[in-house]
Amino acid sequence: MLMEVKKQIKISLLSIKYSIMMQMLNKVTFITNVIFMILNNASFIIQWMVLFNIKDNVGGLSFKQVILLWGIASGTYGIAHLFFEEAFNLSKLIVNGKLDSFIVQPKNVLISVVTSRSKISALGDLIYGYIVLLFYGITIKRFIIFTFVNICGGIIIAEISIIYNSFCFWFVKADILGDTINNTMLNFATYPETIFKKSVKLILYTIIPVGFSTYMPFKLMLKFGIREFFLLIISVLIISLLTFGIFNKGLKKYSSSNLMVSRI
Amino acid sequence: MAIIEVKSLSKEFKVKVKEKGIKGSIKSIFNPNYNIINAVNNISFSVQEGEIIAFIGPNGAGKSTTIKMLTGILYPSNGTISVMGINPSKQRKKLAYNIGTVFGQKEQLWMHLTPYDNFKFFGAIYDLNDNQIEKKIEEYSKVFDLGKFINTPVRNLSLGQRIRCEIVASLIHEPKILFLDEPTIGLDPVVKENIRELIKKMNKEYNTTIFLTSHDIGDIEKLCKRVIIINNGKIILDDTMRKLKYNYLNKKIIEVRTKRKVNLHGSEEYTILKNVDNCLKIEIDTTKSNVMDIIKQIDEDEIIDINISNIPLENIITEIYKK
Repeated sequence: MLMEVKKQIKISLLSIKYSIMMQMLNKVTFITNVIFMILNNASFIIQWMVLFNIKDNVGGLSFKQVILLWGIASGTYGIAHLFFEEAFNLSKLIVNGKLDSFIVQPKNVLISVVTSRSKISALGDLIYGYIVLLFYGITIKRFIIFTFVNICGGIIIAEISIIYNSFCFWFVKADILGDTINNTMLNFATYPETIFKKSVKLILYTIIPVGFSTYMPFKLMLKFGIREFFLLIISVLIISLLTFGIFNKGLKKYSSSNLMVSRI
Repeated sequence: MAIIEVKSLSKEFKVKVKEKGIKGSIKSIFNPNYNIINAVNNISFSVQEGEIIAFIGPNGAGKSTTIKMLTGILYPSNGTISVMGINPSKQRKKLAYNIGTVFGQKEQLWMHLTPYDNFKFFGAIYDLNDNQIEKKIEEYSKVFDLGKFINTPVRNLSLGQRIRCEIVASLIHEPKILFLDEPTIGLDPVVKENIRELIKKMNKEYNTTIFLTSHDIGDIEKLCKRVIIINNGKIILDDTMRKLKYNYLNKKIIEVRTKRKVNLHGSEEYTILKNVDNCLKIEIDTTKSNVMDIIKQIDEDEIIDINISNIPLENIITEIYKK
């Protein structure tokens, strides 16, 4: 079992390496993609600066803390799209019958699929996250926690996308639902949890579970606690189990197709 | 010993039926209607180790659906499959170590990587160590003559070179069975011939069982000793190529070039296919008449050239499809 996990990790890392290599084929595109993504994220600081000129705090958070929230939203999004990009295109792969080549390989289908492509602009998001950490005040402890919460949050974001995209096994047009949830999660991730009422919070920990991918990591970053640390790990484990369960159940409904396709 | 055993295999697809226009679209939301399509309908067959078998049929006959069930891509609705004693639906990973697949219409290779890097990746997928992978690459590079382009990115290769690389990638782990779904689609005749030679070589040297689907009669005629024909999800013929030809080649084509136009009219025994410019083309049913009797009806002094041939296998298979 342990050996199998080791082999799967080796293949996934190799796959990620190759997909990043593919994205780096064109140096100019690669560099501009990364830099423009950093600038794009940085531009949102201005609207918060304007807001904090009027108010001292937003939902009890200071300017630095709100920017840290942005850093976590950006970092988690970066991890999710850099390493698991196909989680966000899964519905199209299902509908167009592009899972065939992964099913005939002796590895886990879901992991092989989601790690088979990278979005290089996501590297800009990830770098931006660490720039924000520098601005917030970096220490070794904060660096380690920030990296840890970004990985957990990134995995959760990818998994939520997989869950919603997997509905395509049952309903053809479920890709719209997947895209909507991904965009909504990103929108909510950049606002403090404290500004929302209880009923909205309930949605943010269920239907649009940005609470697990951004708010919990953010709380852990603000104040590290063993309870919060384990809660985040348990959340990742439960969502992972749910993700693999739904995907594997859906895979039995997979109907493939005979479209002419290439892996580019 | 049977390496593939299929019993009463069926696959149904539920397809939504929509009435015309916007009204139909709205109606289908609230009261959807579905059709059940029997893509594969209660088929049984077995394949022996080392066999090269052609699994053919017209478009939509159920070929790809069957191959996808045999490789674990699709789950059967009914029936049982055993590939090397493995149930593809339940032991997908175990099966994957023992089979190779090439889908002519689907790319498995990474386009931006060289064939060499691709083979390294596929070797790693099948848990081969670096030495084993290098050894296999060296061996197949010679057999498949990849030397000239093994370090060229796949996206820059010709279709023929790419298919050769696809086959090598699917052979890197030495599978016992190779499933080829239209491997020569879109290739020119020379490359097709090369691929066929390689498939033959592979079967001979490694005793690999080949399960082939193709619309190219040349693939079937030159590679396979046995053919299974499927249509509308059902097997309509399962026989050796020799018997297929023997049973169905009861028609001959006679082409005669004469000094002057010959006046012959069709009868129950033969059909005039063409009679223009002193060229006569006749189809004879050899169960009703023999070739010599028909030729004797033409004045031998008038004959300049004569050619007697079998009906092309393509026509025979088309006839079988129509039945």
